[in-house]
Amino acid sequence: MQKKSTTKIKKGLELALFLFLLVVLWQILNMLFVDVFKIWKPYSAPSPAGVAFSFASLLKSGVLLSALLKSLGRGVAGFAISVIAGLILGILIHHFSYLNRNLKPVIMGMQTLPSICWVPFAILWFGLNNSAILFVVVMGSAFSIALGVDDGIKNVPPLYIKAAKTMGAGQGDLYLKVILPACVPSFLATLRQGWSFAWRALMSGEVMSSTIGLGQTLIIGRDMADINQVMLVMLVIIFAGVVIDKCIFTALENRVLRKRGLM
Amino acid sequence: MLELRNVGKTYPHTVKRTLKDINLTIEEGEFICIVGPSGCGKTTLLNLVAGLEEPTKGEIFLDGIPVKGPGADRVVMFQEAALYPWLNVLDNVMLGMEFLGIPKEERKNRALKYLKMVHLSQFTEYPIHQLSGGMRQRAALARALSMDSKILLMDEPFSALDKQTTNMLRGELEQIWMNDHSKTVLFVTHSAEEAVYFADRIVVLSENPGQIKEIISCDLKRPRQIDQEEFVHMRHRLLESVKKEVEKFAKEEYDKN
Repeated sequence: MQKKSTTKIKKGLELALFLFLLVVLWQILNMLFVDVFKIWKPYSAPSPAGVAFSFASLLKSGVLLSALLKSLGRGVAGFAISVIAGLILGILIHHFSYLNRNLKPVIMGMQTLPSICWVPFAILWFGLNNSAILFVVVMGSAFSIALGVDDGIKNVPPLYIKAAKTMGAGQGDLYLKVILPACVPSFLATLRQGWSFAWRALMSGEVMSSTIGLGQTLIIGRDMADINQVMLVMLVIIFAGVVIDKCIFTALENRVLRKRGLM
Repeated sequence: MLELRNVGKTYPHTVKRTLKDINLTIEEGEFICIVGPSGCGKTTLLNLVAGLEEPTKGEIFLDGIPVKGPGADRVVMFQEAALYPWLNVLDNVMLGMEFLGIPKEERKNRALKYLKMVHLSQFTEYPIHQLSGGMRQRAALARALSMDSKILLMDEPFSALDKQTTNMLRGELEQIWMNDHSKTVLFVTHSAEEAVYFADRIVVLSENPGQIKEIISCDLKRPRQIDQEEFVHMRHRLLESVKKEVEKFAKEEYDKN
């Protein structure tokens, strides 16, 4: 155990050092190409110092925090709707072979469509508001969740089901006490993927609309020709996505896998 | 009483007839072993009785009632333990009884009783992945016994275990069965030794199509010792019977000993 935690710290330090060197490299390149060779224009090349400055001023004015919280709230709401819709859809396409043969290919097709393609519809149907963004988020992630649920149920070891049947389990018991618990690890992986789709879709929606959020802050940066603000918002979007993935979904997944002896 | 009348099974898209004209009557409390070369349809026969598959010909009756689909009166113990990894040992054993609608208090008492019988009292709270293969099969045996089914179906339950664990579990199963003489067991095995160890009657299947070649009565005194003269003799007789069917089967057995 002791050894495990020290290697974890070691890995963390290594990553931190790598990221730091990346930032240093970025600063050097920026100085070389903007200030010395004058190849890059200052308004199109963000610098670490500029981003840090932008971070400080947006943090001070409260814009960054309110945008982040708004975006997160919207993301969670859209994701929650997606999970419910995806779960229902997934069970339906698993249970009814007619839907499995015919509706599933349609869903797979929809899944290949980038979520930004739903933006025109969203604006026409809902206007430039919150509902439009939620619509884009749901269209962007519900289908992947539905397919994941179907897949998860399909991959339950047949032996689990056989054993339950020979012990007299009815359809209800079979689903509630065997199939669903067996699906939990794959379901968590599905949720994690669904969240990453939802987060991306959210940004597609937000840059198109004019409600407060990270996407809008990014667009304001563009409109003010403030490339450092654009870069900052991009970094915040990456950071928020990674933190939620690691701290919630990966942590939950690891816990379940460990409990079942799968890792 | 379990009755198989003219049972046959063919699979679509194959020429091979898996099972043909199986007629067999098993009395209550009998221990029946089914042996035969691999691929002769031993497991298929067990699955038919379990109701996991349907015969294409003939019918199966348990106490006069035709078998339709799987049911808790014919619990199966598989080659793998088929325990659920999200439940601990005790909850796994209790789940089968939960399907039967047995009240919680009784489920727990019965589970503890059978876990004690298979020497797992110390491990009731353990997650499945921390158990050895032998312990898993013990837990599966406790679960199967706790269901108190009319007939217990066993599909090579010890074949994936090492020799020592197998011997130990054989002894335990024999003990449990001898203490509860009303338990009917249908036991599929590819090991002649195992068949002679357990069986009141041994059903020898031939290959392609799988038919009953002969039924050998095995009335050695219990508990049986594998180095007894009669035991060795009986095992040879069984091996002879099967050997004619498929070289390979015999070779496997001799290689093992």
